[in-house]
Parts: sequence; structure tokens; C-alpha cells
Amino acid sequence: MTSATSAQLESFSYDDDIVRKFMWATMLWGFVGMLVGVIIAFQLAVPALNLGIPYLSFGRLRPLHTNAVIFAFAGNAIFTGIYYSTQRLLKARMFSDGLSKFHFWGWQAIIVAAALTLPLGYTQAKEYAELEWPIDIAIAVVWVAFAINVFGTIAKRRERHLYVAIWFYIASIVTVAVLHIFNNLSLPAGMLKSYSIYAGVQDAFMQWWYGHNAVAFFLTTPFLGLMYYFMPKAAEKPVFSYRLSILHFWSLVFMYIWAGPHHLHYTALPEWASTLGMIFSVMLWMPSWGGMVNGLLTLRGAWHKVATDPILKFFVVAVTAYGMSTFEGPMLSIKTVNSLAHYTDWIIAHVHTGALGWNGLLTFGMVYWLAPRLFQTKLHSTRLAEAHFWMATFGIIIYATAIYSAGLTQGLMWRAFDATGRLQYPDFVETVLKLLPMYWARALGGSLYVAGIVLMWYNLVMTWRSRPATYQVPVYQAAPLPKKFTDPVPALPNGAWARFQAAHWHRIWEGKALTFTVLTTVAVLVASAFEIVPTFLIRSNVPSIASVKPYTPLELAGRDLYIREGCFNCHSQMIRPLRHETERYGEYSKPGESVYEHPFLWGSRRIGPDLAREGGKRPDLWHLRHFENPPAITPKSIMPRYQWLTTNALDYSVIQRRVDAMAMLGVPYGGIEGGRALTQAEAMAKEQAARIAANIKAEGGPDGMADKEVVALIAYMQRLGKDLRMPAPGQTASAQPAATPAQAARQGQ
Amino acid sequence: MKLSDIMGHAGLAGFAQVALVLFLAVFVAVAIRVFRPSRKTALEAAGAMALDDAPREGDSPTSRLGAIA
Repeated sequence: MTSATSAQLESFSYDDDIVRKFMWATMLWGFVGMLVGVIIAFQLAVPALNLGIPYLSFGRLRPLHTNAVIFAFAGNAIFTGIYYSTQRLLKARMFSDGLSKFHFWGWQAIIVAAALTLPLGYTQAKEYAELEWPIDIAIAVVWVAFAINVFGTIAKRRERHLYVAIWFYIASIVTVAVLHIFNNLSLPAGMLKSYSIYAGVQDAFMQWWYGHNAVAFFLTTPFLGLMYYFMPKAAEKPVFSYRLSILHFWSLVFMYIWAGPHHLHYTALPEWASTLGMIFSVMLWMPSWGGMVNGLLTLRGAWHKVATDPILKFFVVAVTAYGMSTFEGPMLSIKTVNSLAHYTDWIIAHVHTGALGWNGLLTFGMVYWLAPRLFQTKLHSTRLAEAHFWMATFGIIIYATAIYSAGLTQGLMWRAFDATGRLQYPDFVETVLKLLPMYWARALGGSLYVAGIVLMWYNLVMTWRSRPATYQVPVYQAAPLPKKFTDPVPALPNGAWARFQAAHWHRIWEGKALTFTVLTTVAVLVASAFEIVPTFLIRSNVPSIASVKPYTPLELAGRDLYIREGCFNCHSQMIRPLRHETERYGEYSKPGESVYEHPFLWGSRRIGPDLAREGGKRPDLWHLRHFENPPAITPKSIMPRYQWLTTNALDYSVIQRRVDAMAMLGVPYGGIEGGRALTQAEAMAKEQAARIAANIKAEGGPDGMADKEVVALIAYMQRLGKDLRMPAPGQTASAQPAATPAQAARQGQ
Repeated sequence: MKLSDIMGHAGLAGFAQVALVLFLAVFVAVAIRVFRPSRKTALEAAGAMALDDAPREGDSPTSRLGAIA
């Protein structure tokens, strides 16, 4: 060490207390989130397991499960790894211990808020973005604190080069912020109620731009950063190819952001956007596999250790699961494959291969590696860790085998035609009943996976109990970075091309974290703008339909109940232009039908049938009885009972405010009935409710339903898809199929 | 005339191809830069960073940079 350098030495230590906190939180929420998953898996096989309690119904617990696993379990796992590795890679303590604590407690408070509000039915109805606006604001605040803490640490680092794991962290932090803010832009219509500012096609596009990239930048890129740090640690070897990791990074950052539209193939999305999403999704396969190969080959010369080291076993299977998921994802994005898989359990199997295999096993491997180091003792039992590995692996295999079978069965049955050209399984429930054995197997596989987590808890607690009375905190010394960056290459060649080849420019970027971050952000934003702007601005993308009108105030209230109960988790409202779909459900869905849908409710899965053309198909009393006890109307249906809808009083007092919010978003209530809904929404709702209640009574049902929630939901159900059959303004009714008297009565005509 | 009218007549059907070319250009540039033989030693050194939790004896930011540059 030169005298000049030693004179500048700074002492520092790493903050491992925050890492321990995040690690415990990871384990806590991992158990809770996956236990909820097991509960709802059993509910699919035995719907009565919700015990008739609204807060435990599938529609409300499913988003709790997905949010808990993604943002609570995987989120805390990411933070655990980032706080541990960032300090060591940058040779600096985190920028602010206060911000670290704020981040930790803020994030846990958000999770608790989610765990309370989702079962209570407060949801924005957008997958993985269900949390209502006050919680969204809290997420943004906590995320900004996290970002400041990480970028502050980068700024005071003592290592010039940013290791590739840090690049992945930076991309994740920046992109998640952009995704979260833009997808959650909504207009509050109450303390825990809001409507997306986007509608229909635009909302769907924005949601799946977010949804896919939440997978990309929350469940993939940060975990790749963790892989590039912890895999070499566990193997005690450097990453196989650092060059490949750089290529992996830039390819993912450029490509991932384009892929979202593959979630909307054959829907009312413009064809060009759908194709664009498919092409980039297929291209994603290559860098993803480059990353997988890079991870696995890091074990070159160390494969013998895998036989005895459960941590390496976890990592190997995790990276293999990453490879499988990232092969399957591009395959599913191909339109013809997607036409079979979309809305089926195949997608659920795909997601769980990634979440349980890639995210889960990588996290467990990381925690087993960290625990002895953080608790400064030996792991209590390697054999228990080994047992956990096998339980988790077999759990995934059982789960995946069952649900892949279910998905294929479902998709093939939906599209099967008999020799006479008719649907072979016209009754939707037939296709559901075939899946029940697979649902049982799925619940068993999930239970095994959760049992493994219980074993891990025991192992960790026992390890923690053998910790020293006081943790040692090593103090290191290193010189600060010089403020001015001097490229150590003594002389640059002459000429632009020669200088480009010397890559002087990129070394400068690597040294300048801010510039690097800006470039990453530009890559993400440009790609997003290329896709999103045309969809938002080109009129021809969403041709209007003159007969499509806003919902009546009561229908809007019913739609809010549909959202509260999470009906969209099982029912789609998007009929694809495929023969088997139009045969089963009716006319395919048009973009113009959704122009007042804040948010869109197309759904992504069909545990039950599509509802886009449900309006007017059945009497009001049928719906009442169906909500009370579905199997009484549709034998063997697995839809849970919603008997509370017939006893809960409908809150008419909020209806005016909700209509006003919709009007503010541009829904033309002013042009209907002389704008009466803008001032008398409650009265209009009561009038329509009285008519539906009278219908129910006339059809032989109970009296006194006018003030119950169920009338609003019936009003909504009876409206679905009906506008397409109504005459456009200026047309005579005879030019269109006439509405039945009952339909006309429901419409208030 | 609204922005949506202008965009509507802008003929954006080729957006997918433009995006593809953009990506390809960036990909090729990064690949050339990363796989130049002269970068091999530096990048191999950078690849080993995950294994160093603490500053090495006699280490300084400049010497570390020198090792990877």
C-alpha cells in the first residue's frame, strides 16, 4: 500500500442487522403467502372450505396469495440479498441506517395493509396491482427511500467497477418504480376505492405492460442479480462468463419491456401490438438461456459438491426452473400455442414453475447460505436442509404435473367438436369436473412445499438459538474513490472507431452510476413508449360502437361488487375470435365495447365460464338463486356460495360519488337522460333496483330484495354484452334484435 | 387537428420492425464490446468480485480499477 493511499484509508463496517430483519420477514411471509395458496387450492376442490365467510372466499384470497408471494416473500428475499451483497460489492455500508429501517418497517406495514384490505374486498382489480390508492402511494414512498439508500451507497462506494449484480438491481429499482406509478394512476372515489384512469383496451395494455414486467423486473432481474452474487459464493468460484452476464443484462433490459402484449393475444388488442409482443417474447428465450447456462456453468469443476451441499442443490434446481420457465414463456407467447393455453391452468403451472422453482428455491438456497454467516454459527442441520430440498422439489413436481395436465385437458376440452360440428362439451361444468383429481394433486404438492418451509423454520430457529451473545462486527479499511475518474488506460488510440473498440466510453459508464442508470431508464422508457403511445393515440385502434353506453348507477354499483368479490379471478369477459369460443359464448368481444370500462375486467383465467355475453340470458331469479347456492342451480359447480349478497344492505350513499368519479374520467353520463345520473344517481339506482326486485318476486322469488347488494350485481350481470344488441342512436329498434320486455325493464326503458 | 389524428395517419405499422432493428443494433454493439479479446483479463477480474467481501490487503480503488480495466 502506498503512503498516499494509506493516508486516505476510511474505516467502515457492514450493516447485517437489516439483512437479518429482511431474512426473517422473507421466511414469515413465505410461509403465510404459500399457506394461503394451499388453502385456496383446497377450496377449488372443496368450495365449502371457505366456511361461508366472505373474507375467506377464493376471489378475495387469491390476490392475497399472489401479492403475499410476490411482494412479501419474493420482495423481502430481494431486499435480503440486495442489502447483503450491495454493501460487500461496493465496499461500503448502506447510505443510511435510518432509511434501511424505514424501508424495512414501511414495507412490512404495506404487507399488513394488503393482508387486511384484500380479504375485505378493497381492490383495484388489476392483477398484481390490486392494492388501493393509499397503499400504492405508500409503496411509492417506501420504494423511493429504498432507491435513495441504494443509489446513496453507490455514490459513496469504494469500488469503482459496478459488478453485474448491481446492474440488475439498478434496472429493477428504476423499472419497478416506472411500472408501479404508471399502472396505478387512478382517480379516488373514496378512501379505499378508485377507478383506473385508463379504460378498456388501454387499461388492458397498461396492465399487462405492468403485469409482465412485474414478473420481469421483480421476479427475474433482481433474482438474477442474486444469482450472479450468491451462486459464485456457494460454488466458491467466479461466475462462468462475466461477458455473457453483461450480454444477458443488456438483452433482458432491452427486450423484456416489449413482451407484455403476449398476455392479450386474440383479445380486443390491436394485431400489430400483439405480434410485437410475441416477437420480442420469442427473442427473450436466447438471453434467458444464456443466463441459465452461465449460472449452471459457474459450477464447473464443483459439481461434486452438489451431491453433498443442499445449498448448491437449491441453486441448481432454481436455475434449471428459470431455464424451463424462460423456454416455456416464449413458447406460450406464440399465438397458436397461446390460443390453447390462455385462460387455462397451463398458465398457472407456468407461473408456479417460476415462482416455486426459480424464486422459491433460489431464496431458500440464499437463506441457508446466509443464516450461518448472519447468526455467526453453524447451520443447525444440513440433513434437514437436504430434506427440505427434496420436499420442495417433489412438491413442485407433483404440483406442476397435475396443473399442466389440468391446463391441457381444459384447453382441449373447450375446443373439442364432435362429428356433427357441435361443441363436444357444451356444458362448461363438464370441463371443470374433469380437473378435480388434478386440483387435489395440486393441493397435495403445495402442502408438501409448505411443509418444507416449516422444516426450514425449525432449522433456522435452532440455528439462531446457537448464535453468540453479541454479534461480531468486523471493521474494514479502504481508501475512498477519487472524485475524478481517471481511465487507467494510458493512451487512447486515434480515430473514433479505434476508440470505440477500446471501449473507453463503456468504462466511463461503468464508473458513472448515474449515467448508467439514466441509460437503463431510457432503454426501458423508449421501449415502453414505442408500444404504448400508438395504442393510446391512434383512434383506429379502438373503433367506437354507437350503441355502447355507460352503466346505469345501479349497474355501476353491481360492477363494484363484482370487483369486491374478485369474480374476475375466475370469470373472463373477453370472448376471443375463435370458433369454439363464439360457439360457446356468442359474438366475440370488440375493443369498442370496453371504452367505459375503468378498470377493464377481461380477466386472465376461466375457472368458470366467460361472462361477456351473460346479459339477458337468464331470469333475475336464476341469478339470485345461483349466488345463494351455485350447485343448486348448476349441479357439481365449484363456484362458492355468495349468500351474504342477499342479506347485505346495498350502500346507496356511495353511488353518486362513484358516478361522479366515472364522469370525471370521461364517461359521458351527461349525455344520458339529460345528465340525470350526475345529480340523481342514487334515485336512479333505487328505481332500477325496485324494478329488479319486482321481477324477482314475479318470478317466484323472495320479496324485499330492492335494498340488498344482490340486485346491483344482478343489474350488472344482466347488462353484460347487451349493448352490442341494442340499436344505435338514430336507428330504429327494428333494425336491431329487439330487447325482451324484461331486458327493457332492466334498462329502465 | 388532435394528436390522435396525427398519430392515426402516421403509418405506424412498421413500428415492430423499427423496434427490432433498434434492438439488434444495440445487441451487436454490446456484443462487440464485450467479446473483444483485449477485454478478457479485465472482465475475468470483474467476474471474481463476488468472491471478495472485504477489501484486499494493499488494495486501493485505483489498483482495483487497474485490475479490471
